[in-house]
Amino acid sequence: MHSRFRSLAPYLFVGPAVLSVAIFLYGPLLASALLSVLDWNLLSADISFVGTKNYATVFSNVDFRTAAWNTVLYCVILIPAQIILPLLLALMIHSVRKSPMQGIYRGSLFLPTILAYSVAGVAWSWLFNPVNGLFNEIFGYFGFPPSRWHTDPNLALLCVCLVTFWKTFGLNMLLWLAALANLPHELREASQLDGASPRRHFFTISLPLMTPTAFFISVTTFFHVLDDIVGVIDVLTHGGPAGRSSSLLYFLWQQGLRFFQFGPASAVAMIIILLVLIVTWLQFRVAEKRVHYG
Amino acid sequence: MSAQPSMSHLSLHRLFIHTILLVTCFITVFPLVWMVSSAFTPNDLITAKAIRFWPENPTLANFTEASSRHPIWMWLWNSILTATLITVGKLLLAVPAGFAFGRMEFPGKQPLFWFVIATMSFPSVLAIIPTYIGVVKLQAFDTYGAMIIPSIPYIGFYVFYMRQAFRSLPGSMFEAAKIDGSGLWRQFTEIGIPNVIPAIAALSVISFMGAWNIYLWGQLVLEDSFKKTLTTGIATFADLEGTGQSWGPLMATSLLSIVPVLVIFLFAQRYIVDALAPGIDER
Repeated sequence: MHSRFRSLAPYLFVGPAVLSVAIFLYGPLLASALLSVLDWNLLSADISFVGTKNYATVFSNVDFRTAAWNTVLYCVILIPAQIILPLLLALMIHSVRKSPMQGIYRGSLFLPTILAYSVAGVAWSWLFNPVNGLFNEIFGYFGFPPSRWHTDPNLALLCVCLVTFWKTFGLNMLLWLAALANLPHELREASQLDGASPRRHFFTISLPLMTPTAFFISVTTFFHVLDDIVGVIDVLTHGGPAGRSSSLLYFLWQQGLRFFQFGPASAVAMIIILLVLIVTWLQFRVAEKRVHYG
Repeated sequence: MSAQPSMSHLSLHRLFIHTILLVTCFITVFPLVWMVSSAFTPNDLITAKAIRFWPENPTLANFTEASSRHPIWMWLWNSILTATLITVGKLLLAVPAGFAFGRMEFPGKQPLFWFVIATMSFPSVLAIIPTYIGVVKLQAFDTYGAMIIPSIPYIGFYVFYMRQAFRSLPGSMFEAAKIDGSGLWRQFTEIGIPNVIPAIAALSVISFMGAWNIYLWGQLVLEDSFKKTLTTGIATFADLEGTGQSWGPLMATSLLSIVPVLVIFLFAQRYIVDALAPGIDER
């Protein structure tokens, strides 16, 4: 009896965690796969198998194509920004780490990361406000005509990028700071003796040593960008004007939960999963060649 | 080219870096400064000026106005309740799982570990439609349970982090207990948990702040104004009345929603920083 408990015990420890992710995360994933080939809404009793019809509906939807293209733009703009700018900030903070200001810099730059999307949306919709908003005041001072910012079709996507960046860059900055703090500082002294410039030291020694962090950041930033823009879009632009700031996940959200088109929305979910798998696989392939594990 | 830059060059360089950082911090924090000062400024004065650091004619009118229009104190209570229960739920799942993955050997350990960890890469919106259907079918719409229970299983990072914490404890700590004939449960509760309190504290803080800020899911399943949390209430506030006339009450409510996370952040910054970016404060 006792030894049987011993061999079962680990499963009792991990069971609740495994079951909860199976039911609430993998379950819905499988359910989405099923819903994507069915024609069904919550209210009716009829369920019919429609094969790839939902996928065809989605691909012929012009809003879907706009959202897909926007998602590419979001990734192209935000992923490099979310990797490089936090690194530059971390390098600057690291270079003044002995100053008492270090904690203040780190704390205030991390501050937006702890806020809710709705709060960020409220603050920024005022900054972008056409009447007396800060952006129009500043740009007006330099002689630019007033703009409608997040309600302007050409600027909405960039406004979402700006707010998303503001709301989330703190996390990557912390991760870079930790990587910098963990570098052996004897190396810096050695290359100083060799007369290497700080820039040369960074590119030839520090950065290669931080490739595991760089890899981790590049993988997680991709997931975060997909996820984070949904909240910002919902509070700032609702995907508008005319879908110009929508993204794939926001399109899914709207189709499924505003218009209750479960089939097409689930088809979008499957497309997103495929995208995530492909990008993750590519990142691991690149990493196999480039990442040095110390 | 000298290897050691001269002293004055060095301090000029540092001054330059401090200046850039100060300006960046100022820009980053500014929207919040404006929010705080507006919350205490009379509503009709708020949009008169674009830049305000300090409230004009300071007043609490925006808070009383907000609470007369919406049950904001109920929202505050709902936020505290849901964030606390979600945090407790996550820890109840993640701490024992982390202990087993970190300190026990059993068949299927690696696949089960990856099964849990892989969920870190799931965008949170992905599961939302089937979960919503489930909530409607179970007639759980507009209940605290619908808000809380589906928010708990996002534990990939928590399990990973607890496993690291338990693994880093020296094995000798547990040897003595094994010789005494202590069971696994007692090893877990009497030796394991007391030695990973900082890790549990860090995760509690991160979880509480995350749950406090849950927005999309709350928007979806909480419709009754008395059930809403602060962050979902703020969104309805802004949507219902348009932001034009009610900046003041809106800012007051937003401030109310920031204060608890801000206080926790200020007191627990060390824990958070250490959980997210270990090693940063070691020198």
